[in-house]
Amino acid sequence: METGLRVFLLTLVLAALPGCATVRGWFHHGHPSSEPTEAQAIAEDNASPPRVVEPDVSRRTIKVPKVRSRNIEVGASYGVLSIEDFGTNPSYGLVAAYHITEDFFFQGEWGRSTAGKTSFETLNGGVQLLTESERRFTYYDLSLGYNFLPGEAYLGRGHAMTSAFYLLGGIGATEFAGDKKFTVNFGAGYRVVPTDWLAVHISVQDRVFNSDLLGSTKLTNNIEARLTTTVFF
Amino acid sequence: MIRSAHQLALASLLLLAALFAPGVSAAREYLQLFVTEPYLELHTGPGRGYPVFHVVPREASIDVLFRRTDWFKVRTEQGVEGWASQKDMQQTVLADGTRFVFPLGDRAGFTSHTFEMGVFAGEYGGATEVSGYAAVYFNSQLGLEGALGQYLGRYSNGVTADIGLIHVFAPEWRASPFVTLGLGLVRIQPKATLVQASDRTEDTAYAGIGVRYYLTRRFFVRAEYKTHYIFTTRNANQEEDEWKLGFAFFF
Repeated sequence: METGLRVFLLTLVLAALPGCATVRGWFHHGHPSSEPTEAQAIAEDNASPPRVVEPDVSRRTIKVPKVRSRNIEVGASYGVLSIEDFGTNPSYGLVAAYHITEDFFFQGEWGRSTAGKTSFETLNGGVQLLTESERRFTYYDLSLGYNFLPGEAYLGRGHAMTSAFYLLGGIGATEFAGDKKFTVNFGAGYRVVPTDWLAVHISVQDRVFNSDLLGSTKLTNNIEARLTTTVFF
Repeated sequence: MIRSAHQLALASLLLLAALFAPGVSAAREYLQLFVTEPYLELHTGPGRGYPVFHVVPREASIDVLFRRTDWFKVRTEQGVEGWASQKDMQQTVLADGTRFVFPLGDRAGFTSHTFEMGVFAGEYGGATEVSGYAAVYFNSQLGLEGALGQYLGRYSNGVTADIGLIHVFAPEWRASPFVTLGLGLVRIQPKATLVQASDRTEDTAYAGIGVRYYLTRRFFVRAEYKTHYIFTTRNANQEEDEWKLGFAFFF
């Protein structure tokens, strides 16, 4: 009886042995049912190269820092504006630009100046053509800029700054003498970029609109020269 | 007494030094990339004409400081800073070996992008109009857009503000048609010489149709017709046509 039991147990162990070979697989991969049978394994051995142990590596998720885009330029300007028939006066304004490609940028401007007196007013002491609020010259425009001559400017031996001579053209509106007029502007400027975030511009722009202020309708040219400081974002 | 004063001075100096010391943090501030081509050229400025002054060898790493238009400002391990082109940067890989992918300003970007902006010149109810718009797209076909305009006419001036949806029919076409639908406001400022000249603001609704045509890089032309219904306080509502042609870009 005892011998019979031993034989039975031995058979059981023998039968269990092939199963033991996959014990690791049970715990680590948890798919004992999907393990190939011996016959399949042999067939596979003949068909393809031996199966390599699967690497059990948990992949770390790497947080990649985002690359910042610095295409937006915002700043303020100060200069002089020559208002046709009304003399040359100081002007100030705000500028925002978006650099689309290395060649082109899109620019929005707002500016203000106060007109002086016409020669007629100066000669005839008491005559006032416009009220104080009507003398305010306010413009805005949306322009496209083209970096016509990109280059570098050198400050002494040790400093090189990127620069560009650019052309500007666009449309907008001007409020002057109690009226608003559709305005076309064109001009040119020179930009120097001393650091990655700062730029200094010198520009000249002509703002052209139809004015009927002095009797007949005429095209007026209002030329502005200004110095602008901008910051890149 | 003097000793403690010295100690205090030393302690505050150390504290100051700690404050101004360059930050040694575990997280990287800039994106690190590796060169896979034989070399990566660095230019002195962000443009095709700027000369190459340095080359980064294969396998070396670079830190990407920022991007300006289609150029990347990078810093080498030795601390050399220069500009690398978009085309060259496409050949670099991340630390895990995957390719560095970023949005390009090309035809594929025209088909599917998130933001666009533009400027129009046109006509609003017979008056000359200047306007600008910005749009954000949820997918390649559907977007939300807002437009601000000013019209300058013989009898009145005015400001318009619209917000609405845009649907592009075939964004993959070079000339892709679209429809728009939305609501808005119009502020009408009659010219001072007319009687009863007082400014008024009215609600509007619009429907429009147009086409956008891809030019090159990030640019396209946009032509549009909108019909505006102005809900006046009078018995009859007013209807105004708006035609405009503009220049726009996506990013």
